[in-house]
This record gives sequence, C-alpha cells and structure tokens, in this order.
Amino acid sequence: MAQPTLDAFQVIADPSRRQMLMLLSKESRTINNLADNFDMSRPAVSKHIKILYGAGFISIQDIGRERHCTLKQDGFNALHEWLKYFDQFWTAKLKNLENLLNNKLPN
Amino acid sequence: MAASIKHELFFPHPPAAVWEYLTNAELMELWLMKSDFQPVLGHEFQFRIGPKPALDFDGIVYCKVLEIVPFKKLSYSWKLGPGDGTLNVDSVVRWELQPKDNGTELILDHGNFVILENMGMFNAMTEGWLSNMRKMAARLNDITHGTTNA
Repeated sequence: MAQPTLDAFQVIADPSRRQMLMLLSKESRTINNLADNFDMSRPAVSKHIKILYGAGFISIQDIGRERHCTLKQDGFNALHEWLKYFDQFWTAKLKNLENLLNNKLPN
Repeated sequence: MAASIKHELFFPHPPAAVWEYLTNAELMELWLMKSDFQPVLGHEFQFRIGPKPALDFDGIVYCKVLEIVPFKKLSYSWKLGPGDGTLNVDSVVRWELQPKDNGTELILDHGNFVILENMGMFNAMTEGWLSNMRKMAARLNDITHGTTNA
C-alpha cells in the first residue's frame, strides 16, 4: 500500500509517532515490541512505522525474524527547513532593497 | 549549523536613508511587504507572506518592536503559527546600521529561534541531539499529559 509522502513536520505532528520516537530515543526496538506499547491495530502501527521510515526518522534492520527500528538523525534536519526558508526569504527581500536603494536614490 | 540567519549588505547611502526603508511602512512595502509597522517601542504589527503548509505556517507573521535606536538599531519579534491561534515558531529579527566609507553597512540577524509546541523536538535537535532526547522526552510527556487533561 502506498504511503503519502509527509514532510518532517507532518510526521512529527502525530502524537503516536512522537511517542514512538521517544521510545526509540531510549533504545532500539522491534516493531512487535513497539506495537505492544500502543493501543492500536498492528496494521496501524505498521503504517506509522512506514511513515517514520519514509521520512528518515528511523532505520529498519531485519535481524532473524524480527524487524528492528533504530532512531536516525536525518529526519530531524527539518529545523533547518525553517532556517533555509527564512534565509531564502531575506535574501530575496534584501535583493529588492538593494535594487531599490541603489537604483532609485541618488548617492 | 547555528540557528541564526545573517546577512550583511553595504549601501552607498547614509544610515538615515537606509533607516527610512526599514521603518517607514510605505517604503517597507516597496521591498519587504505590506504591514502596519510603526517605529514605536512595543508596537505590535503583522506581516503577511506566502503560507507554507509544509511547514505548518499560515503566512501571517506576528511582530512586536523590541528595540529601536534611530539610525542604529531595530529589532522585532517574529512569531508564526499554523493559523489556529497557536504559535509554533518564535524568533527575533535584528537590524543594525553602521556608518562605513560614506555609506552604511546593514546587518540582519534573524535568530533566537524557539520552536514551540510539537516542534519542541526540533529545537532540541539543534543542540546536539542524542543527549537532549531524554530531556525532550520528559518535556513532550508533559505536553502530552497536559493536552489529555485539558
């Protein structure tokens, strides 16, 4: 089943997924072990895991018959999205200001 | 990566001329955007920029003049949110003007980023994350419980 692509902010907006990340921040866990902590169906847990994986928050490793989830740093680079966003914003605005001041005003 | 955006620009104009463009709402609109800015300490105003749904941002920036020293310094808070009355980003925009070579060096520093609410995690991330994960977990727990009890 195809999962919608969510950005890091949408990923973390869900309380269950935040809870999963918190559990994983303490130690790596198997999907079954994670699921035991939630009052939701196994497919629902799998869906969240897929979203976390897809957004780069966790990595999944098959060990024996179990799937192990480990926290990954990539997903957290989303704060940088804000900085990048406003950096681009100011770059464009300051360019406007430069054009305006340097073209219109006499020196 | 430092959680601050910095730009420095030189203008061959005196600080007073550059200052006008930073503090006169009509002139600000020409390069920045429309706003109800007034060069008065404590004045609250808004900027409207494009919404950014991917970042959970409705496009309205809530500002308040925090410091104003004519021709030298201007700073205002820069807060935003998803549009449901909550805020998820709190930051500060600082302008500094320095006379230099018959012109003005304009320095912009957009920093003091505090990522609120469910963005608490990201805030923790900027300062070396694994060590902060535990503190953050406690904080998120508080938030979660707070919501549940409400």
